[in-house]
Parts: sequence; C-alpha cells; structure tokens
Amino acid sequence: MAPNVEYYCPCLAASPHPPPPHLPSSSFSFHPLHSLFFCEECDAVRCNRCVMVEVSGYYCPNCLFEVPSASVRAEKNRCARNCFHCPNCRNTLTVVASDPPEDADARMSPIVSTTLGEPPFFLYCNHCRWDSAEVGIIFEKPTGLAAQLQKYEDSAPESLEFERLKEHFEPYLRASSSSALPAASHHIHTNPITAAAASALARDIPGVGKYSALARNRIGREKSTQKQEIPDYKPRVEVGAASGLSAGGGEADVEYMRHLEMDSEVATLEQRWGNSWVSSLRTADLKPMRIPLQAKKSKRCPSCRHILIKPEQKAQSVRYKIKLVAANYLPAISVSLPHAQAALEMMKRSTALSKSASVPGDEHGAAAGTLLAGKTYAFHLAFTNPLYDPIQVRLKKAQVMPAGEARRPAFQVNLPSAAFPIAAFAEAWEYEDDEEDVFALEEEDMEMDGMGRDGRGRARTVGILEKRANVTVVGGEVILTKEARGNAKFNMLVSYTYRSDDPEPADDEMATPSRGHASSRAPDMKTFSFYTVVDLGPVVPRDESRVDPD
Amino acid sequence: MDMPIYYTRAEYIETDTGNKVSRRATIAGPQNIILGGKTIISSGAIIRGDLRRTGPGHAVVISLGRYCLIGEGCVMRPPYKTYRGNFNYYPMKIGDHVHVGANTIVEAATIGNHVEIGKNCVIGKFTIIKDCAKIADNTVIPPNTVVPALALFAGSPGKHSVRAVNEDMKVTFAGQYVEDLPESTQEMAEAYTKQYYTRFQPLPNER
Repeated sequence: MAPNVEYYCPCLAASPHPPPPHLPSSSFSFHPLHSLFFCEECDAVRCNRCVMVEVSGYYCPNCLFEVPSASVRAEKNRCARNCFHCPNCRNTLTVVASDPPEDADARMSPIVSTTLGEPPFFLYCNHCRWDSAEVGIIFEKPTGLAAQLQKYEDSAPESLEFERLKEHFEPYLRASSSSALPAASHHIHTNPITAAAASALARDIPGVGKYSALARNRIGREKSTQKQEIPDYKPRVEVGAASGLSAGGGEADVEYMRHLEMDSEVATLEQRWGNSWVSSLRTADLKPMRIPLQAKKSKRCPSCRHILIKPEQKAQSVRYKIKLVAANYLPAISVSLPHAQAALEMMKRSTALSKSASVPGDEHGAAAGTLLAGKTYAFHLAFTNPLYDPIQVRLKKAQVMPAGEARRPAFQVNLPSAAFPIAAFAEAWEYEDDEEDVFALEEEDMEMDGMGRDGRGRARTVGILEKRANVTVVGGEVILTKEARGNAKFNMLVSYTYRSDDPEPADDEMATPSRGHASSRAPDMKTFSFYTVVDLGPVVPRDESRVDPD
Repeated sequence: MDMPIYYTRAEYIETDTGNKVSRRATIAGPQNIILGGKTIISSGAIIRGDLRRTGPGHAVVISLGRYCLIGEGCVMRPPYKTYRGNFNYYPMKIGDHVHVGANTIVEAATIGNHVEIGKNCVIGKFTIIKDCAKIADNTVIPPNTVVPALALFAGSPGKHSVRAVNEDMKVTFAGQYVEDLPESTQEMAEAYTKQYYTRFQPLPNER
C-alpha cells in the first residue's frame, strides 16, 4: 500500500490529543482530507461522523424528479412516477406493451401500435428478463403505474395495521408533543414519536421502564398524569400468523421447502429485505418495487450549527451554495518514499529501455519500496497551500505514547524542526497548462538529483528540499529498529500561521479544551494546528527480506 | 509524488489540441468522433465512430470532452435500439474529466463531467451517468440505468459484492447504488485528470 496521510477529527476523543496510531481504533478518528469539513465559526475540523445531516431535498434516483417533501410521505418515500426495481436483480424495469395480434391488422401495426402499444402492459427487466406478467401484474394503461402498485402495497394487512396504530396514537402524540418539549431539549434524539413509543413500551412491559433513560427522566410526571390516557390497542393482525397468502412462517413454509427442487426458488434475503412488509419466501411471488427516493443532504457543524454544506436545489447539480471543506483551509500533505520511487523508476526504465545505465540501489529495487527493519529511510512530505496568503508551517511529532508501553518505540522519526514557508495559492498557476510539460520535466530532473544524493551520502534528508508555486517539499527521516513490525505510522502535529482576515476578537470563546491548541494569536497572525497520521507503509522484518533477493 | 507515466514517442500521435491517441488503438470512423483536447486514447482501445445513425448528413457518433482517458482495451460503442421498427444507432456523449479504466465496455448514451469508471466494467446500452459519479471496478451496469450525480455504483451479478462481508454471500444484483461520494469529488477528479495528463509523457531519452 502506498504511504498516505490522514487528518484527525477530534469528535470522538475526550482529550485534545489523537489516539496513538498503532491502535486499530484510531482509524476511526482519521480521515482523508477530502472528506473533511471546516467550520469557520468554531475554527475546527469536522468529519462526516460528527456533522449533523439534514435532508435538503428528495429526488428519485431513476427519473431524477425532485419530489416536494409534502408528497414524500403520502407516496411512502418511493417514486410515484414510472420507476420500478426489478425484484429479481434490482435493475430498472421498463414498461412494455404486448405484442400486437398476428392477424388482420398485422400489416399496419408498425406505425399504429407504436405510440402506445397494445394493452395489456407489463413491466419488463432488460437485465434478467423478469416480467411482471409472471406474478400477475398487468396494466390496462401504460401511465400512472405507481399509483396502481401503491394501491397493492397499501392494501397489505400490515400496512393497514400500521395506519390504524398511527391513528390510535395520534391524540396522544398531539398531547405529548407540547408537554414533552422540555425533556426533548435535554435529549437530542427524542422526538414525540419515540417518546410515545418508549413510554408505551415502558407501561406495557413490566421492568422496561427502569432501563429507559427517557422514561426515567419523566417517570415521575407520567405516572400520575398520562397513565390512563391511552386505551389498550386491539390488533387486528395476529403476530406471526399474518395474512393468509403471502407472509410466511410456520407450516406452509416448511411444506413449501420440503418440495423444493432448486434453491433459486427461494428468494434471497437481499431480494426480500428491501420490502416494506413481510413477503413470501418464493422467488415466484416477488413483486416489483417502486424505487426508493434519495435525498440531497445539507450538513451542519455539531457545536455551532452553522451550515457547512448546502447543496443547490436542483437534484442533479453538483454545485453547492455553501461548501466549507477542509481542503480549502488546511494544507494538503502527500507523503512519498524516495527510495520506493527510485526503485519503481528503475524498473520502469529497465523494462522500457531494456537496460539501465547503473543500478546503485540493487536491493532497493528488489524490495521495491518496502521498509526493511533496522534501516533508515528518508521520506518526503509535500505541502500544498490552498490559501491566498503565504503560510508558515511547523511540524512536530506528537508524543502521546502511553508510558506503559515499553516495546513501542520501534522506530524514530526526525522531522524538520524549523518552520518553513509555503507560497500563496494563485489561480494563475492553474492556467499554465501549456508550460506544464516543460515544468514537469525540470521538476523531474531535480527529483532525480535529489535521489542520487540520497543514495550516495544521505546529504540533507531532513529539511526543505524543494519549493515551487504553492508547494513545499520537506524531507524527514525514519529510523527503524531491528524489532520494528507492522506499519511505520506516526502522529504529526502540523501548525501553520497565516494572516488573519478578521482582526475582531470575536472568536475568543472558541478555545474550548478539545481544540485549545487551535488558537494562539499573534497581533495580526493566526495559528491553526491539526493532527495528522502519517503511514509510511508496512515494515518488513529483516530475515524475510534476506530471502527475497536470493 | 507525481511520477511520470512514460510511453514511447512512436506509439502515440499528438494532435494540435493535445489529444494523445495510440497508434495501436482502433479508431473506426474518425470523422464521426470528436475529442475535446488533452484526451488520451490508450493502446488497444476500440472506438466505433463508424456505427452512425442512418440517414444523410454529417453525424457525430462519439464525442469526448477534455482531459478524458480511455484505458487499454476499452470498447466505446454507441448504443442501438429498434424504434418504430427501425434499427438505429444513437450518439454517445461524454463530458470533461472522464476516466474509463482498462478493458471496460461502454455503450452509454450520456456520461457527465468528472466521472470515473473503473476497470473491467460493462456500461449497458443507453445508460445515463450524471456528473461526478463513480463506477467501481468490475461493475456491470444494466441497460437503461440512470446513475445520479455524486453516487458510487458497484456490483455485478455472479460476483462478490463490495458489501458482502461474508465470502460465501453471492450477489445476483447488477451494479447499483452504494453510497454518496464526498462533496469535493469534482475538485478531486479535476485535479487527478489534469495531473494524469501532465504525468503522461514520452520517454525523455528518446528526444
């Protein structure tokens, strides 16, 4: 695996320091830069795990129709136009007309029948050739099919039962939504419906009440006031013995399974679990499904609630009204191992030109970029500045190794200790497309020089290696001990100083302990720090690598 | 970081607008194909510009935008159907910054901008792929599928799905929606495709 850098989001941790990278659980706190957000109000990195997600619009993924949220509920979150999933393979079904009758009017059929076709119409899958006539679903007209199918769905006994349940609880919901508000403000995940369900559960099943945090909060209040309010609900569908024909379980299914000849006669779990209600076991009974809607999502900062992501209204637009992604604020870091690149280069050249001039790093070539235990390697970190102002970057290896672990320091990392500058990002560089060729060549020559130096004497491996446009490459060094195993991974604290745009002291309260290191303000300069994990790749034990070249 | 990808100078023809077309690619009906510039057609690719709509006049069969890559051994073939009793081919339009992996067969009607299609895929007839979508490697997209913007599609009948945790779990479904892609997909795809074009250069020793 190529060496990579991931960025830390402090949302999971209690302390400001990231977890040590050798813990498997640490991977939950580190994310690739492009998946992170940045809240300007809090001056903090946010990730997909901590942001609050809201639906900003619904659309059908097939016909791309934007469904107004008012009708989403009535249409049961599925497309109400002519979009259906094949129950067999999940492909989109097409509406097909029956073949025109072969007799009298066969002559004129190509022109006449094409506009609508002959009824009955049915749904047909282009991929697996399933068709809805197999399960007895045919239509007189090729339009408004979803409404007809929804009628089937809504007449399912479970669906009716659910409607009745909702009706039954409606008065209670209305009553409790006002009284439940104070409790709900404590508890973010509480809404009137879950509250009602939880309290009903607590009442009906003895003993549940004391385990439910929700019920505990409010139990004092409820005991007296609301206990008698809801009359008992009489279900019309018995659990388990639901609906004679479809819903399975019990004797009928056993009998059916006894006479199976092919396992494909039984619908797979994947084919069935997308259904709203219990359906039959048989493949032959699978019904077409209206396609579930998808949502465009906007995202908010969990602490200040400012919007980080707000998509444009149009369903298929990929633009955003608000888009605060971390890539626009934090320098992008990419890591590379020069010895691995040299090895790759060598192999490429030698295959392309059938011979290469000299092979200084023969053993490197064989191992092609792996790290051997007990050796010292240089690595390059390329920083790209996304800001329109130049920044000063300072690196620090995070020493959060727990004291208890004795065998841990399997490798040692040297990073440049002095701060180094990165020039500002200028849009103009984006347009130098034509010169890029020349540029790339120069750059490559430089890099080859660097490699030569590394190979010979390791002159200057730690420090600034290269500066161009808004990219600065610095070198580091990793010294592996003989016992080094696993991946050479370390946490790195990156601090950068930039000129602040807003000199007003509005953001003083941002220094919450969890990201207190984010702010130490110079008069006009601001510093922001973030943690990253640098993964240089797996370390190969010495003995193993000895075998390889032989 | 940005290691060059070398090719032998003799193999590729470079046009005025920076398109690089392998001499080992099969380009049928080149007069019906539009390349937007800085697009790379790798060796072994087959582009069927000859399958044009019947009828008089000039017809664009396949149009590709800027910074596209057609991988090794790809087949780009316009979709066809019989409509009102007439068999016909329909044009294929592909946007900018689209990468198609090696050995993929594309019969889509429309592919938007910033789309990434993996290796060994089959993109069925009249598929519509919207902007910034991604198709994973080894995916089969059935005919007439619509892939919405910023969606990742994966899956192939008879193969193990990316979601199947259990190795024994066979999935019969064809390529379908897996997850949403990050909001910055567009920038990433743009940077990647531009960088790829810059990296793709002739072996320097030949100059």
